[in-house]
Amino acid sequence: MIVRGFAAGSQGPEATERLPQLGATTAGLGRNPIPAAKPGSDDGIAADLALVEAVLRKDRKATAEFVETYADAVYSFIRRRLNPREDLVDDLVQDVFVAAWENLVSFRGSSSLRSWLLGIARHKVEDHYRRLLQDAHPLDADVAAILPDRSPGVEAVADRERIEQQTRKVLEEMPQHYSVALLWRYWERKSAREVAEATGRSEKAVERLLARAREQFRRRWQSA
Amino acid sequence: MRKESRASSRLKSRIYSTLVARQSQDGPLLSLSATRESGRRLCVFEELVQIAPVGESAKCVNLCRVCHARVLGEHVEGAPVFWPGCPYMQFQNR
Repeated sequence: MIVRGFAAGSQGPEATERLPQLGATTAGLGRNPIPAAKPGSDDGIAADLALVEAVLRKDRKATAEFVETYADAVYSFIRRRLNPREDLVDDLVQDVFVAAWENLVSFRGSSSLRSWLLGIARHKVEDHYRRLLQDAHPLDADVAAILPDRSPGVEAVADRERIEQQTRKVLEEMPQHYSVALLWRYWERKSAREVAEATGRSEKAVERLLARAREQFRRRWQSA
Repeated sequence: MRKESRASSRLKSRIYSTLVARQSQDGPLLSLSATRESGRRLCVFEELVQIAPVGESAKCVNLCRVCHARVLGEHVEGAPVFWPGCPYMQFQNR
């Protein structure tokens, strides 16, 4: 892989000494613990760039540091969004890191490395949602037509932190394309139009899907 | 941070193995000598290879591929790996 975007003089020991943020968490990999830099600060960005540079040079220890430093954040981000399909979380986290490696040359430090990785994670989650909704069975228009367009009670309920567990349980019991539709609409705050554009369905079809998903969510919630 | 919001050591191990394998496919890794010079700690196995009278190309090989620590790290949560400088030890969430 071609290394681009870094000054040649920034490699080597001098570059690796600019890792205050990362050194604090990777003492076991042989780095001296140094006080952490504030994420997004100049020091933090410099540390990110130094780490990226080392990973691009195929420094295996830097690669381990990259995984150790950011795997928890990516895992947490994806796990919360993929809920309740936690069995898929590990695969998506791994996909994020592979995609990150393949695109690491494009990291310029305009944002923190953490933010950059979470941006990739967001795209991976959206790809996952998109695939599931594209594969979902077509709606029965006659049945969907008699269902209410929206259920404000469900929207309010879905946002409440204190009933997260029950929400999760209900979502787990629902057909996957319904739970994904609700997650995408209410967790990611995507509009029906955005979902329609992403999945190649009509906006009306997405609205009917959401209506049916809300209705099923409401019924399961009441019987839970 | 809640425990369940942390990636497992097995997952970290698998990700690391995958990344290093990908890096190896694209060409040799950074040699162990250069890695050591940059201030990063090698494991005992890598140290032995690094000081051995072999060519630099032998020091650019992914040694973890044939190491039992990798197998343990990828399959056992909290694997009994205690070699300083070993990434699979670092992933154990201790």
